[in-house]
Amino acid sequence: MLRIIGEPKKSFVTGNETAAWACLAAGADMMFGYPITPQNEIMHYWTRLAPKYRRGFLQTEDELSAGFTVCGSVQSGKKAFTATAGPGNVLMQEPFGMAEAMRLPLLAIIQQRGGPSSGTVVYSQQEVTLTTFGGNGEGMRIVYSTATHQEIYDYIIKGFNTAWKYRFPVFILGDGYQAKMREPLEMYDPEDKGIEMIKPFPLIGLEGHIGAGREPQHLCNIYSLEEELYEVVMKVAAEYESIKDIIVEYDEKNCDDADIIVVSHGVVSRAADDAVKILRAQGIKAGYFRPITLRPYPHKQLRAAIAKSGAKKLLIAESAYGQLDKLTKQEIFGETVKIENLFMPGVGIIDYDIINKVKSVL
Amino acid sequence: MESYIHWEVFSFSQKITNRIVEAYIGEYASGKSEMAINRALELKNQGRQVTLVDLDTVEPFYTLRILKKDLEQMGIDVISFAREDAFGLGETGAMLNPRARWALMHEGDIILDIGYGVQGAKTLNLVEGAYESPDLLIVAVINGTRPMTDSLEKTKEYLIDLGRVDAVVLNTHLGDKSTPEIIIEGNNVIQVAARELGIPIAYLAIDENLRDAVPAAENDIPTKYIKRYMPGAIW
Repeated sequence: MLRIIGEPKKSFVTGNETAAWACLAAGADMMFGYPITPQNEIMHYWTRLAPKYRRGFLQTEDELSAGFTVCGSVQSGKKAFTATAGPGNVLMQEPFGMAEAMRLPLLAIIQQRGGPSSGTVVYSQQEVTLTTFGGNGEGMRIVYSTATHQEIYDYIIKGFNTAWKYRFPVFILGDGYQAKMREPLEMYDPEDKGIEMIKPFPLIGLEGHIGAGREPQHLCNIYSLEEELYEVVMKVAAEYESIKDIIVEYDEKNCDDADIIVVSHGVVSRAADDAVKILRAQGIKAGYFRPITLRPYPHKQLRAAIAKSGAKKLLIAESAYGQLDKLTKQEIFGETVKIENLFMPGVGIIDYDIINKVKSVL
Repeated sequence: MESYIHWEVFSFSQKITNRIVEAYIGEYASGKSEMAINRALELKNQGRQVTLVDLDTVEPFYTLRILKKDLEQMGIDVISFAREDAFGLGETGAMLNPRARWALMHEGDIILDIGYGVQGAKTLNLVEGAYESPDLLIVAVINGTRPMTDSLEKTKEYLIDLGRVDAVVLNTHLGDKSTPEIIIEGNNVIQVAARELGIPIAYLAIDENLRDAVPAAENDIPTKYIKRYMPGAIW
């Protein structure tokens, strides 16, 4: 593959710019998109970079088209992606559902903005439910929730491989703050880190004749009978369940003896990390648990953290009104640890907010 | 260690009036806002009256907004959107702050922070009288660790795309991860680019926390040790 970055080097960048460079380094062929804040600069940078590296871009008439054109492009064997936010993410749920149904290796970068509806253009963590379980299906998707520019870069590269290896749609879940923040990033070509990028392959127009050398390729998003659909959904669900343990990722700190474990994801986990360090310095036994994959959720690991610490409480902190909370509760059903909440929908959470909340509930 | 190379320096003294009007332009994350804030405070500390104008008309939500009150307490007038100015149009309405449009009618010095990188100084056409102002200087802020300006060719291409640029600020840094080598090497590349395009250097900007680690420029390029205010904003 053409080397994009060359010698790994540190750059000072925004999160959106990070995403565009990561897609380039990961060997993406094509972006389809429709403008929406706060992801616009992913498109801006991609369109500045793509011609220099012979990659493609199409601005479609809306997000429905952007999603469906990605679905078409990956079927032809192109490594394609899109990026969106908020109402655009809502519209794309229909094509994302098609990707679930047809097992298409689609990659979408979501930079969450405030909701409901157009909400704000700025920031939130209110697209957790939508990104993990949106659409009229069973949430057969993989969702990485990033916290830093380095993670945006690393998980986009990883995400393309996850999508093309397992053929489930993959989401990189960022937010408006990560999109706009500036921080140092080490960019690299995947090969230099020993990462072999999976070569995309066509899903239609295959070589050979059906019945003489190969099976027919059924990429269906509609069936005639209930039983047909049932069989397919159960087969896909079984395949999803079988890879969950391989896909799942999390981060955990100071949970061994924690009285309270702060559960957060994405950019809020940076505040939680700082808060836990400060609380520890003050003699308060706080722990930190962060699901990196929100789907599949690291429920076994969180249950283990609760068990080994004997924590009396979990504090679920999020810039939403209970979406991570709902997701976490369904995943650790049966645990008796008391759950406290810090819900700040659409606004940022800083270490101070978490410290105050922890002190008020201990 | 790398050492500086030097060419001619832009003169801030070739002015017709005593008024200072500077527009800071550049890539996303190049340091426009930081330079504009530091410049405004520098002038204020010289006893001058200063108005700092946030001219990001596309996304005025991510800029100086959070720092507005702090900056006002330091004695500069700030024209920027704040909670009390927001009226619910989101991205569906044109967000030109009327006070920004008429900013040049203010007395005293005017420092304009021109947002939304790639368009350069084009947004200035929204400020009444900007292009007619004999005082206006358009200053491009360049950070040599930005992927679009991390080589001689790319920096030249970028400066050409910007259109009118009266002077360049050398602002290579990596946030908290800056090293003297990165700063000096990056700034040397920008100097060569500016030199080849015939654009003067305004000054060299270095984080004040690196005062002891990074030497000042050795000849007549002014070195400004700047305080970083933007980490106080969430983005």
